[in-house]
Amino acid sequence: MIQSLVHSLRVYLAEAWLSYHGRFAITSPFGYIASKLGFPFFLMLFFIFMGKFVGYTNPLYIVIGNVLLIPAANGLGGVTLAIRDERQWGTLSYVLGSPAPRMPIFLGRAFYYILDGFVTALLGLAIAAGIFHLDLSQVNFLLLMVCIFLVAVTSSGLGFLFGSISLVSRDGWMITTTFISALYILVGVNFPIESLPVVLQKVAYVLPLTRGIMAARLALDGAGWNAISRLVAGEVLVGAIYILAGYLCFRLIEKRSMASGTLDAI
Amino acid sequence: MSRLRWGLIKRQMVVQLQVATLNLYSLGLFVIQPAVFIAVGMLLSHAAGNAMPDLVYSVVGGGIMGMWSGLVFSSTYDIAGDRYNGMLELIVGSPTSLATVEAIRTLTNVLSGLFSLSLAFITSLAIFGYSLHGVNFWGAGISLLLLLFAMWCMGVFLANFIAWSRISTWFVDYLEMPIAFLCGFMYPIRVLPGWLQILSGAIPIRWALQAMNESLLGNRDLTFLATHWAIAIGISLIFLAITRWLQVKVHDSIRLSGELSSI
Repeated sequence: MIQSLVHSLRVYLAEAWLSYHGRFAITSPFGYIASKLGFPFFLMLFFIFMGKFVGYTNPLYIVIGNVLLIPAANGLGGVTLAIRDERQWGTLSYVLGSPAPRMPIFLGRAFYYILDGFVTALLGLAIAAGIFHLDLSQVNFLLLMVCIFLVAVTSSGLGFLFGSISLVSRDGWMITTTFISALYILVGVNFPIESLPVVLQKVAYVLPLTRGIMAARLALDGAGWNAISRLVAGEVLVGAIYILAGYLCFRLIEKRSMASGTLDAI
Repeated sequence: MSRLRWGLIKRQMVVQLQVATLNLYSLGLFVIQPAVFIAVGMLLSHAAGNAMPDLVYSVVGGGIMGMWSGLVFSSTYDIAGDRYNGMLELIVGSPTSLATVEAIRTLTNVLSGLFSLSLAFITSLAIFGYSLHGVNFWGAGISLLLLLFAMWCMGVFLANFIAWSRISTWFVDYLEMPIAFLCGFMYPIRVLPGWLQILSGAIPIRWALQAMNESLLGNRDLTFLATHWAIAIGISLIFLAITRWLQVKVHDSIRLSGELSSI
């Protein structure tokens, strides 16, 4: 039992490191930093000036929302690519053919992206605080860090789901980037959920991130555990459902490919 | 000779359009992404308490965003795709220069972007009831032509970097948002702080776009428009001259080192 657990843990960490290293080892430092902070920073500035033009009086709402989206984009985009690349580089058949347990192989894809997203978001917050003179005197830092970490984890659930989709569809990455774009509207990044039409509000609440971002905003305002516990619990629940759905989707695709032998023919 | 060249342009454009049409990614670039930006603009406006969004910047601006995203990603991905598929060497080795092929492809990509702009414009007319009353049509038309020219100049300029070095793909990819932000695709340039306005002055798109937006808003001041057009043409030509100089450098570098795929 213990030997099996240790083996699973070893597979998990090895998968985590190889997956992350495989993606970023060929990247230049400029490319790495630009992908982590450059794009979100300029996107945030774009939204801020859009807001300024239309008379939106709370630019800090946009700043904080976009910083909180960093771990989400990392968890969603990174994990999707980590899974999709197996097929892209022709290593998927080896992964599926190996006798290693599936759970650590699958979940290992997310480990460093979660960690990376978490650290990048903290860095982004520090930079944003410096540039936009955010008042951090009231912030409940411990809860804020919990919320950011939670957002990074739950967004990886979406990554698992879209990663699995990208195994059966050559347009998986296009679907993922479209979905990431939709997050600018749906999860309360640039404006409160209440500004959305009622239908979209309902969609927002079945997505991970929405409650996590709300909780993080409350923690930034100095709220305590009691004020955010329901939001955190909701975020954990929704995130767990997406992770499970992603895993089941992956197993289903694997099973189908074993039966038909057509995984790489799509 | 000119018939031969026209044939080349026609064939290149047809192939380029077929590739773009059959690729679902184009749908994301030219339709979905602009729609998302338009939605963000409108919802921000709604959250700010406005009854109606500003249609020129929030809606038509989304179309400009689609044009630019389409240009950046299609022009850079063309070269990256050629390299990935092993076609780049064949293109460089063929009698038709890489510069000519790139120029035609970029022109097609820029013209494809008009789909995005047209869609945004039709949306603003049909759904939001944008009135054309008072629009300076000839001013908007000339500005649009200059906007296409400025985008084409930027496109061929950026494509050189991708041919030269695969690492520069990272750099060019991340120009999408900074250029959109500096040129005021979805807000007037006056919203930016002064020093950023000065910085944006180096980008020809900014001048042509400003003239187009002002014309759509009914500005008929010929001095204002002519100045913007002249600056847009001037900076575009500077970009074109640098591109020409770079093309010789890139070509020499590739032939001397034989390192087209290893950079």
